[in-house]
Amino acid sequence: MNALAKVSTEQPAAGSAVLKADNVGVAFRTGQQYVEAIRNVSFELQQGETLAIVGPSGCGKSTLFNAIAGLLRPTRGHVEVAGRRVDAATGQVGYMLQKDLLLPWRSVLDNVMLGLEVRGSAKARSRDIAMKLIKAYGLAGFENAKPATLSGGMRQRVAIMRTLAFDPQVILLDEPFSALDFQTRLLLQADVSRIIAEHGKSAILVTHDIGEAIAMADRVLVLSARPATVRALHVIDLPKVGRDPVALRTDSAFQNYFARIWADLEMPPGTA
Amino acid sequence: MSTLEATQAGSGRAERHTLPPALKIALLQIALLAVLLAAWELAIRFGWIAVYLYGRPSGIFAKAGILIANGELLRDAALTAWEAIAGFLLGTLLGSAVGLALWLFPTSAAVLRPYLIALNGLPKIALAPLIIVWFGIGISSKIAIAAIITFIVAVITAQQGAKEVDEDLVKLMRSLGASRWKTWRTVIIPGAMPWIVSAFRLNVGFALIGAVVGEYIASKEGLGYMIYYAGVLYDLNSVWVGIAALMAVALLMYGAIDILERRLRF
Repeated sequence: MNALAKVSTEQPAAGSAVLKADNVGVAFRTGQQYVEAIRNVSFELQQGETLAIVGPSGCGKSTLFNAIAGLLRPTRGHVEVAGRRVDAATGQVGYMLQKDLLLPWRSVLDNVMLGLEVRGSAKARSRDIAMKLIKAYGLAGFENAKPATLSGGMRQRVAIMRTLAFDPQVILLDEPFSALDFQTRLLLQADVSRIIAEHGKSAILVTHDIGEAIAMADRVLVLSARPATVRALHVIDLPKVGRDPVALRTDSAFQNYFARIWADLEMPPGTA
Repeated sequence: MSTLEATQAGSGRAERHTLPPALKIALLQIALLAVLLAAWELAIRFGWIAVYLYGRPSGIFAKAGILIANGELLRDAALTAWEAIAGFLLGTLLGSAVGLALWLFPTSAAVLRPYLIALNGLPKIALAPLIIVWFGIGISSKIAIAAIITFIVAVITAQQGAKEVDEDLVKLMRSLGASRWKTWRTVIIPGAMPWIVSAFRLNVGFALIGAVVGEYIASKEGLGYMIYYAGVLYDLNSVWVGIAALMAVALLMYGAIDILERRLRF
């Protein structure tokens, strides 16, 4: 497993890598203490690929997420998007969190248009893009509704539309479904996977839900406990289109992946 | 006591019919006031409490009739309301703007912090003598007192409201490449709005305190002056009329804030 991780993460940069994390390390100083959140993490995200990052809780997943989004500068190493170093948040990376972060005073339409508005796109054009997304993903008729009147699942769908609307290079998903009930979560996993695939987007999914990682990703990167290093990288060789998250649960290949990733997470620190 | 019980029983029997809930509540509210006033009047009549210490409802109504008929009450109420409203608008709007702007300038906010805390802790009424020296005993000093009190409350609440906006929303705006200015306009101002409106509510009360205390200290007109003057003369019925008029002014101002709040709700 470790050999696999080494081989996969140290291969030379492929031309089609849309995002590259190169020896990223992050440490914080909190008062007198020096906390190392991430020791050394490297990976590449290929164009059109969904990469899941799983790890034990508190392993620095969110820190890594912030570094990729350009919200935090790594202490060591760097992150590149489309060959350019991520030095500050530039709008190349769109993200979606557990919280939908919709502006409650704005309509669905105005929420979807937020990213375009920040970029200064023409209002009429933004409106067209947003309306197309709203119609395509089953919220037609709700464009003037306020988020408070929508269900949790609908709100998260608005959040993914907002992310898609400004056409980022990479979509980051940080535990986007963990606040939803089980049924809605499975439905949205399938929905969001499909939406990302339809737009040909590359995505990174940070999650602690192994099942979600296998259901949505092409590859699963397993991190060690804090300070995080790459423990393993699994290629999920399941048909990408039409992966039914419910049927998948009974699939023997799914169960096999699940067991292997589970074992990777269970490894005591220091053996990686 | 038996007469009192009879009054209560009588008013109780009146609502047994099926009435719309809002009307029923309104009738009960009027009944509550009527019962209290009747009890007060009876307590005076039977000599349980001294009229020179409390006044009496029948006297209050008579006094109110006189003061309404000669126009004095309306003139005083309008003046005090105007002082409170002008001070409220000036202080609250400027204060909210400053409090929100402090989000844009974290260094200034940090520098001002201890001063704001000290000013907030200071009973602002202590400033009234200074303000009367600066602005005179006319209407402008009352507006200034109301404005200063409401200003400080508004600055602190608006600043707090801006701080309470979800940090993840600010991060989202950053990740979209938004400038701090754009984030302020798009997320901070609307996000802080519920706080700012809650300060409006507090400030209605503070603005009235400012206007009335200003009139107590130095004035020749207004409800505060009227209450103070009547109190000195032991004309307690007039004092009660003034208090009731102040309550009416406060209710009207709160009503206006309610309408505003409903329009700002999301």
